[in-house]
Amino acid sequence: MAVTERSSQLTKQSNPIVSRLRAVVLSKEGILFLIMIAAMFILSLLTDKFLTTNNLLNQLRLVTEIGLMALPMTFIIITGGIDLSVGSIFGLSAIVMGFLWQDSGWPLELAIIMCIVVGTIAGFINGLFIVRVGVPPLIMTLATLALYRGMALGVSEARSARGFPDWFFDLGQRQFLGIPSQLWILLIAAIMVGIILARTPFGRGIYAMGNNELAARFSGIPVRLYKLVIYTFSGFMAGLAGYIFTSRISTTRADMGTGLELDVIAAVVLGGTSINGGSGSIVGTMIGLILIQLLKNGLLLGGVKGDATIVIIGAILILAILINNLVQRRTGGD
Amino acid sequence: MGATLELEGINKQFPGVKALDNVRFDMAAGEVHALLGENGAGKSTLIKIISGVYRPDGGTIRLDGETVLFNTPREAQQRGIATIYQELSLYPELTVAENIFMGHAPRRKVGPVDVLDWKAANTKAQEILTSLHIHTLDVRRKVGTLTVGNRQRVEIAKALSLNARILIMDEPTAALTEADVEQLFSIVRLLRERGVGIIYISHRLHEVFELADRVTVLRDGQYVGTKLVSETSENDLVSMMVGRTIDNLFPKLDTEIGKPVLEVRNLYRRPMTRGVSFQLRAGEIVGLAGLVGAGRSEVAQVIFGINPAESGEILIDGQPVTIKHPGQAMNHGIAYVPEDRGTQGLVRQMRIRENVSMSVLRAIRAGIFINRREERSLATGMIKQLNIRAYSAEQVVNKLSGGNQQKVVVGKWLASKPRILIMDEPTRGIDVGAKAEIHRLMSELAKEGLAVLMISSELPEILGMSDRILVMRGGQVVAEYSRAEATQERIAAAMMSETAGNGAPESETVMIDESETA
Ligand SMILES: Nc1ncnc2c1ncn2[C@@H]1O[C@H](COP(=O)(O)OP(=O)(O)OP(=O)(O)O)[C@@H](O)[C@H]1O
Ligand SMILES: [Mg+2]
Repeated sequence: MAVTERSSQLTKQSNPIVSRLRAVVLSKEGILFLIMIAAMFILSLLTDKFLTTNNLLNQLRLVTEIGLMALPMTFIIITGGIDLSVGSIFGLSAIVMGFLWQDSGWPLELAIIMCIVVGTIAGFINGLFIVRVGVPPLIMTLATLALYRGMALGVSEARSARGFPDWFFDLGQRQFLGIPSQLWILLIAAIMVGIILARTPFGRGIYAMGNNELAARFSGIPVRLYKLVIYTFSGFMAGLAGYIFTSRISTTRADMGTGLELDVIAAVVLGGTSINGGSGSIVGTMIGLILIQLLKNGLLLGGVKGDATIVIIGAILILAILINNLVQRRTGGD
Repeated sequence: MGATLELEGINKQFPGVKALDNVRFDMAAGEVHALLGENGAGKSTLIKIISGVYRPDGGTIRLDGETVLFNTPREAQQRGIATIYQELSLYPELTVAENIFMGHAPRRKVGPVDVLDWKAANTKAQEILTSLHIHTLDVRRKVGTLTVGNRQRVEIAKALSLNARILIMDEPTAALTEADVEQLFSIVRLLRERGVGIIYISHRLHEVFELADRVTVLRDGQYVGTKLVSETSENDLVSMMVGRTIDNLFPKLDTEIGKPVLEVRNLYRRPMTRGVSFQLRAGEIVGLAGLVGAGRSEVAQVIFGINPAESGEILIDGQPVTIKHPGQAMNHGIAYVPEDRGTQGLVRQMRIRENVSMSVLRAIRAGIFINRREERSLATGMIKQLNIRAYSAEQVVNKLSGGNQQKVVVGKWLASKPRILIMDEPTRGIDVGAKAEIHRLMSELAKEGLAVLMISSELPEILGMSDRILVMRGGQVVAEYSRAEATQERIAAAMMSETAGNGAPESETVMIDESETA
């Protein structure tokens, strides 16, 4: 996949292939990838249940929802924004789907579509207020984090939807061509979004906005439109993830997705996207996502107690970021 | 209180360039020492070594005869070296006083704790400004709302608040109008009398002759020589700088002036644009003169859609158009080279290639993708055409010298192949050679039928390049001269007449001066 825009600082005039390789390995993503391989190696020594195709695929199945939401989150954080409401949108969309199907008697197909529509609208509202009224993203999405969650609770009235027909579980619980079905969606979405970010005028505009929004505007980049698009896209993905999650766990509950935004943001930030905006990549986000999940799983399988797992993961996150900062400074990257 | 400074054998290597190669420099107490050289010659690098931003790879620095090595700008400040950098470095969200005392605010005791005493800071800031004969600047204003000229006064006050014995100024006049320059000069003279040594970088040679005692010239990172200003001439210095002489700084070609391509009628966008009307014809270069705060940039930004007009008409080729955002202006073939390259013109963290293509992203697509090959050739083309000193189009703009950054902004908008080119201080911070080059380019483009509106605070540039000259004051066009009628005196008089003439109350002028809209 496309190497990021912001890596490969130093192109020495030596052997072009060697220097190219050097640039890839020493990029944020390259380093993170090495850390991930190292972690996998160590975890596989802890337990032989870890490094099996089955286990790994299953772990990826579990992070699909977070991964989908991390894609637009990468865009948003690169522009210097944040979306804290994704967990709530995720919950609200799924609840609406369950409600429409179970309580209002809508056909399930239509309810699924509404699930995604509701997510998209919720994201659009975020974007609209951020762009039109100028509410800072942090404040706006903090407010809708509460608002959308409240709506989810109101709609569900603390009841849960269950008893979906069998076909509903195809996406969440079965395989397609030997790979968990929902993983295909993540894979395709990540590739598409990654290429959009790295190669299109839209993606370039996102980076420009994150580094210097005023200069981006002075260059004719439609800054507000782009913001509206990414927040709407974030809602869309949260809706889609809500559907996939329901299909995986067979039921909806009003508190589903609570705190999920932190997992999403952690994956993005660990993946090398600067929280101040301006740099980051989809490849990095995907590696960050997988690294966190594999650590959780490997440590669990290795018999590390729950609390200790969190501590170890936290420590490794900090370490990864430190190593990266060090290397980037050494090589003159930013 | 004066200090002497000697540098010897200074080397500094950046990835891809040797910025300084065995450079020496010295100065005495109470001396104004000018530092000259082309864009990228290494002037800013040298002063950043003196002020502790960079560490030299080799060489010695002696302050008052004692060898020193500064690891941080703070250490240099503590030894009395204060610097005003080329790219102004104030905090726009903080007030004037807070900026002046950033990092060394006066303290007072509240019980057992030391707290910052902003009240004292305000008073002291006011005192410093007064000592510089600056009376109209409110120390409680946010710096972001000030004009460039006033921001610079704040920088100087900040330097003085540190009890500077050596004051380094990197192109302080680049962003100033003549009136501001005069005031700056009197401040510099004041400081010299107090024994402060001043290192002064500028691309304007006449300033060197007006102000400096000695001058040192760098070329391509190497020391060329040091001369007493009284024993040298402009031509001497130019040939030391560029290795040749420049015969014509304003190579204006005669052009066929065609139909009006841009016309604005009674354009309003309060507070700075108050009923502006003018025409711009194909092949014509129109100079827009005025003081800082006269509303020149603001008009340009109304036309370019950054702050769309509240009322009035914009006509392109005689057809009324609406311009609500820059994209629309660009669709009509308008380009705007903004005044402030750091905040408006460039995304400095990105590469030259990415900056140059930013105005044409939609035009250089292959399908939905940016055509990388076209993008790269566009950027390398501009690097060649404008002689930008960079090791490749992949260089991050931040790491270019100031003048070369300015060339990237110009290149970015030339790349959009406009029909109407609005340039706001296009040659700010550009060396004489490159300036002549950009003027020549402007002239050639006009000959090909481009319409150019050039905002400039340098009257010689306005007089030298314009077919017609408009003068703005208080958000309105107050005078118009043809190339033949225009003289420096007439334009200067029109720029200032109201304030000078009927003695408008100072507060009012200040208000106009200051209310730059963000
Ligand atoms: N941080 C940096 N990293 C890499 N190269 C740099 C860096 N800073 C400066 N350079 C390079 O060093 C050379 C000297 O730059 P410098 O800024 O000192 O020039 P200057 O004489 O101040 O020019 P100008 O008149 O345009 O301001 C330039 O080629 C520039 O590209
Ligand atoms: Mg410089």
